[in-house]
Amino acid sequence: MDDWQYHPAPDIDESMAEQLRNFPRQPHMLQYAIRSVAALLMRGWLKIYHRLSVSGRDNLPASGSYILVCNHTSHLDTLCMLSAVPLRNIHRTFPAAAADYFFCSLPRSAVSAILINALPFDRKLKGAESLTVCSTLLSNEGNVLIIFPEGTRTTSGKMGRFRSGIGRLVAGTDLAVVPCYLSGGLRAWPKGRMFPRPYKLRLSIGAACHYPQLQKDAESVREVCADLERRVAELGGEPHDDL
Amino acid sequence: MTIDAALRSEIFLSYLTIVGGLLVVAGAALGILSLSGKDVSSVWKTYRGWLIMVPLVLGTIFLGREAVIAGATLLAIFGFREFARATGLYEDWWLTGIVYAAIAALGAASIATDPRLETAGWYGIFMALPVYVVAAILLIPILRNRAKGQLQRVALAIVGFVYFGWMFSHLGFLANSPYAYGYILYLVFAVEINDIAAFTCGKLFGKRKLRENISPNKTIGGSVGAIGVSLLVPWLLWFSFPHFDVVHLLLAGLIVGVGGQLGDLVISYIKRDIGIKDMGSVIQGHGGILDRVDSMIFVAPLFFHMIRWFHGLN
Repeated sequence: MDDWQYHPAPDIDESMAEQLRNFPRQPHMLQYAIRSVAALLMRGWLKIYHRLSVSGRDNLPASGSYILVCNHTSHLDTLCMLSAVPLRNIHRTFPAAAADYFFCSLPRSAVSAILINALPFDRKLKGAESLTVCSTLLSNEGNVLIIFPEGTRTTSGKMGRFRSGIGRLVAGTDLAVVPCYLSGGLRAWPKGRMFPRPYKLRLSIGAACHYPQLQKDAESVREVCADLERRVAELGGEPHDDL
Repeated sequence: MTIDAALRSEIFLSYLTIVGGLLVVAGAALGILSLSGKDVSSVWKTYRGWLIMVPLVLGTIFLGREAVIAGATLLAIFGFREFARATGLYEDWWLTGIVYAAIAALGAASIATDPRLETAGWYGIFMALPVYVVAAILLIPILRNRAKGQLQRVALAIVGFVYFGWMFSHLGFLANSPYAYGYILYLVFAVEINDIAAFTCGKLFGKRKLRENISPNKTIGGSVGAIGVSLLVPWLLWFSFPHFDVVHLLLAGLIVGVGGQLGDLVISYIKRDIGIKDMGSVIQGHGGILDRVDSMIFVAPLFFHMIRWFHGLN
């Protein structure tokens, strides 16, 4: 009789915090169950407490991987975007989240990884490495990446400049990028406040864009960023000064 | 078992004093050793692990019956999770899902009131659950119309449920007894003493290996010493179960002394067969949950049925 072959989980020797900080994470049934319940509760809460309205849901690609980009005013942005994708896709929807903020301790990592399904994005040291993780993720069919190209929450209400990461990710590829704009986030939950206030939130989803014709050079990257920045601003009716 | 009862229970308060005292003494001894220049960093790590686990366990028992059952069920669920992750069974969501649900059902059966006898804990369904769960596990390949590799998965799931789920869950069911404080505190305390005794006696007079292909660090000296210490412990803790006579005390000691070491050896050969060092790394200095509770898995059901045979549970 031959011996059995076992396949222990690759992260079996790691502590809970390390397991949560890894990406890609090992799929785990209990986490999926908690995330599904949390997603349902979150949708209900956004609908009732913030009267969230979503327009342009049809613009979300029905198949393939895609990126959602959005202006960033509060943590509600991520939650609203997660609520906009179909419920069956939530385990394959990954908001890129600053590793230094969302994965700095075990409780935060647990919330970020289990409830939000966040992708730990190192915005300081290993930006290029994190972008490689993103493009690997998107090369698998059916994954959704949520990115806030401004890199941080605005405090003034004016949209910040888009950073080059999104441009480097999509210039010269077939990847679909869907611009979104959330209005009301700044009033409802400005940076520094403990809890959100019950203001109305509106999420507008624009038409998907592709940039396969562009080269992978600095000029194209700037072009992509400027184009997406303009599209997002237009969705929100914000005045936009071209580069 | 309620908060009120815990505050009035002399047994609970005695254990609180004993364990608290031991922790203080051990901490002081470690402090003196490290001041005298000995390297005790690894022992410190283990000690810090104790400082987290002891209040968690005592706090759960303090909260009462439901908390103890929920705690034991959660330990069984996360223990099984470690087993599933170690063997690779975790990739099969159907089978792991059934086992998780079944362990939760064991918890529910322990909390429920028996509809006919109106006693706390539905003993009949608790004991009958393995029949239904094993049947359900064996049905899965048929439902999915799969044959290749199914025997291994089904076998792992059954071991996972019966051993880590059902046998361990007996600990939670004990919370339904009027002597719950004495039984549960004795088991937790005596099993840990047995572990420590096996380790210490092994260091002191361990020469011949116990089972060199399974756990090369265990020795016959350590094993015999631990059984000796465990046989002594029930006499010292007689206040936990004043209704016990000499035979019951001997059995209680024997079950802990032998069962505790068997549980340890079972986890050891499982780990050795898979080729891993620890079942997980949840508790700093202690490895995974199963590395910590392994000794309880044999002890809980054997002790449970011993007292049920002699005294009845209620």
